[in-house]
Amino acid sequence: MSLSKLRAGIAKRTGGDAGNFGALDVEVREEFSSVVLEGRVPDWRLKVELGWFAAGFGYKGVVNDLEVEGIEEERLAPSFPAGDRPLEGRSFDVAIIGGGVVGCAIARELAKWKVSAVLLEKEEDVAAHTSSRNDGMIHDGFAARPGTRKAAYNVRGNRLWEPLAGELRIDFSRPGSLVVFGSSAAKAAYPIMAARAKENGVDGWEFWSRKRLLAEEPNVTDGQHGAFFLPSAGIVSPYRATVALAESAAANGVEFSLGTCALGLEKEGGRITRVLTNRGDFRAAVVVNAAGNWSDAVAGMAGDRFFSLHQRRGVEMILDANAGRHLNHIMAMPSLLTVNRKTKGGGLVKTVEGNVLVGPTAAEAPGRENYATTAAELRELEKHLRLNKKLSPSMVITYFAGVRACTYEEDFIVERSERVPNLVHAAGIQSPGLASAPAVAEDVVRLALEALAATKRVSRNAAFVAARRAAPELRRLPFAERAALIAKNPAYGRIVCRCEEVSEGEIRDALRSPLPAASLDAVKRRARPGMGRCHGGFCTPRVMEIVADELGIPLDEVTKKGPGSRIACGQTKAGAEGGRQ
Amino acid sequence: MIPRERRDVVVLGGGPAGLAAALAASESGSDVLVVEREERLGGILKQCVHDGFGLVRFGEQLAGPEYARRYIDLVEGRRVAVSLETFVHSVRREAPAAARRAAAADGDPGFFVLTCVNRDRGVFELEARALVLATGCRERTDRQVFIHGDRPAGVLTAGLAQHLVNIEGLLPGRRAVILGSGDIGLIMARRLTLEGMEVEGVYELKSEPSGLSRNLRQCLEDFGIPLHLSTTVVEVHGKRRVEAVTVAAVDQRGQVLPGTERRVACDTLVLSVGLIPENEIAESLGLSLDPATKGPRVDQAGESQAEGVFVCGNALHVNDLADYVSESGEAAGRAAAAFAARNGAPAARGRLVPVKAGPGFLYAVPQFVDRGRPGKAVLYFRSNATLREGARFAARAIGPDGAPAATLLEKRYAALRPPEMERVEIDVALVPVDAAAVSLELERKEGLRG
Repeated sequence: MSLSKLRAGIAKRTGGDAGNFGALDVEVREEFSSVVLEGRVPDWRLKVELGWFAAGFGYKGVVNDLEVEGIEEERLAPSFPAGDRPLEGRSFDVAIIGGGVVGCAIARELAKWKVSAVLLEKEEDVAAHTSSRNDGMIHDGFAARPGTRKAAYNVRGNRLWEPLAGELRIDFSRPGSLVVFGSSAAKAAYPIMAARAKENGVDGWEFWSRKRLLAEEPNVTDGQHGAFFLPSAGIVSPYRATVALAESAAANGVEFSLGTCALGLEKEGGRITRVLTNRGDFRAAVVVNAAGNWSDAVAGMAGDRFFSLHQRRGVEMILDANAGRHLNHIMAMPSLLTVNRKTKGGGLVKTVEGNVLVGPTAAEAPGRENYATTAAELRELEKHLRLNKKLSPSMVITYFAGVRACTYEEDFIVERSERVPNLVHAAGIQSPGLASAPAVAEDVVRLALEALAATKRVSRNAAFVAARRAAPELRRLPFAERAALIAKNPAYGRIVCRCEEVSEGEIRDALRSPLPAASLDAVKRRARPGMGRCHGGFCTPRVMEIVADELGIPLDEVTKKGPGSRIACGQTKAGAEGGRQ
Repeated sequence: MIPRERRDVVVLGGGPAGLAAALAASESGSDVLVVEREERLGGILKQCVHDGFGLVRFGEQLAGPEYARRYIDLVEGRRVAVSLETFVHSVRREAPAAARRAAAADGDPGFFVLTCVNRDRGVFELEARALVLATGCRERTDRQVFIHGDRPAGVLTAGLAQHLVNIEGLLPGRRAVILGSGDIGLIMARRLTLEGMEVEGVYELKSEPSGLSRNLRQCLEDFGIPLHLSTTVVEVHGKRRVEAVTVAAVDQRGQVLPGTERRVACDTLVLSVGLIPENEIAESLGLSLDPATKGPRVDQAGESQAEGVFVCGNALHVNDLADYVSESGEAAGRAAAAFAARNGAPAARGRLVPVKAGPGFLYAVPQFVDRGRPGKAVLYFRSNATLREGARFAARAIGPDGAPAATLLEKRYAALRPPEMERVEIDVALVPVDAAAVSLELERKEGLRG
């Protein structure tokens, strides 16, 4: 480690020299094997670039505390006020902070052991953030830089997903991924690509000639000269997968405390003793940090800041379900060949529901929860449509943004804290986080059990049930089975969402699941009403009625995503007098 | 075995189009069944508590539910079968069964079999000789007009706002911005104001309003609600509930003019940005859609290019008045009954003469005139621009040589506006047997001599 070299480099990049240490007010210091950047820079881009630069000097992590003019430092805070303190005074073996796919996968893995565990999620449901906001790809593992944790977890996670999806009773498919060669010369990269796939331990790869490519993907645009095919690339529904992991964990005894934000971690003798939240303070023997875009803040609560996150936005467009028939594989942009280490470049993905996803973009921007989209981002995505002759911008039905939680090392952090022995980090899990989650969860649980061993002997949970009890999806059942279910429960015969063919019974199932939905968005994640072409224009009032009925609340208290997001705000004059007309 | 019910005619949809179709088919002697997804008949009229319905049809001003009630009473009076809360999962054609095939004439198109779902009957099938699609339309959403920004609660379509207010008795918010000057948007501007909400303004991307003149007067002017033309909503703000929207002026091509952005505080954004005919079932039957109407191509009786499939109302094209929706339903119902009555006998369908709407039209319906259907044919059209000075309309039959062969109708209009649909009648007997097309022409007043 050479702090002086790093200082000189930073000085150069901020318009000065080692002597005056830059025209800008930037300081560099070492702290507990990490490097800390402090001071002020004029723009966000420079802050991120200095962070990346500092990551190249062999430190454990980069803590980037540079302030940027006009951009406020974001603070972790509850998304809405809590009405009660049910966790007050309780005690758990393990507390998991964060209900994204990583936290939920950890919770389920932990349920295989006899421990008491609680998962804290500050939103009204799991998968509320980037776990709902990605393309659902279970990457093959080719794109990750060889030797990184990302590469290893991705390849392992890819193998784990197929059996896991079977246990969770969710859709999983392996369409495989094509990296197309846009020129004859690009084909020359094949041996390099094959070598990389081999180094990463990817499960299979093939060279596809132009003829093979056209045979397998007939709508590929002219002028493609073949492809590098990775058969192991798969697809899940990311929010369904996350919810299913959570439901399985909940059914096996893990407690989920929603609307619960970690506010502090109290320590005694270097160990965390109590977790402070807006819904009560409790004791925890081990804490797992799976806080996604807030994982650096949670590390800070424990006095273990050795890394900072920066946010990389990814915007995706969803094409109409009709578009699905024009695409057979995941297709990546040839720009991948330029080996941009920060992103895999985006492309076309066919979802398990048959829609086509286009994207994602990759842009550094502040905002840990900034999911607003812009017109410019959509225009940028249109380039991917050039991979397929039949796809056009008129097929776009909706679009969304997610935020990747990136360290400056651009790699995952999966480890027991060096400073706080009962803290385990699953941090900086950016793409391919969904693909890697099952593998990350295995290691995190092993580490958590090691940490727990100091205070407790832990044995296997013999009562663990791997198969999730999934609610039926009637539109996919053979008619005889469907009729039998309706005969038993007529609510399955009342179709509420006409676009996605979702019945009242399925919505009630979502509201009674082991991790019950309590908002329209949460119902949507479980049963899909409102996901279709009318975007809930017709079914919203009906779903609201069912939610109100199940929760025992008035209709105007039904929310989109928890407190503060009511759909209606009171009754009309007639409504106040007589209720429903 | 899935239980099956047989009917002559099945009508999909129990709104003003479907009810009129069912009534007409029943009056023509057909055994009809109406399939309705919701728990009550009436379609969207159930929530249209404002008046203005029925002037053409009944010669009086009715509220939406009253208009629907007239048809429901007529349908119930004839004991037309209705299957409520019934969802059509899929529709397929089935050849006549072997036993019947022996008796069936050559070219028998067979039956339609609808697989349906209902809470009391489970999964069941409906079999019918003729099918009437009266499935109405749906609203365009915020994503379809590319609104960006946050995704909070408080963004809803005008129809959903109308349902919440008029059916559920709920107020969608306190202070609303309305995007789009379509009729439902205008009507909701008035409705929300009457219910005590503040409507900050109505914003319209185009340089002219999209709604009927009477609605502009009665819903905005009378209430002092400003209409901002050539202005649109570009961004929504608010993490959990809408806090504000950004509006901006646009040029003639709808592109935002930089520097004109303005933040408007509100907790509700109501969208009235267009309607799209619902044609999932039509498409599943292989019907081709007219890109101008987004509905199937049909003849003057609403029969599509697929024999035995009739389409009417807003599933065909988005009408301005419910009265015309019912009129097209009636034509489709009558023709569907006649089709069913032939019981598979060789088609009596005549030659389909394409209707070609020239420059100046947004669209015209029907897209074909069936020479084999005698009598009057009703044509609906919209101009593609406002013609304040007036216009001359002509319908001419074009002969096989491409030259006009007969003038079917000439008509002068004092003014034409795209939001206002026009209706004309032509006499099918005047269309020569060998006509290549029926050509519709629209001439601006300025171009008229004398």
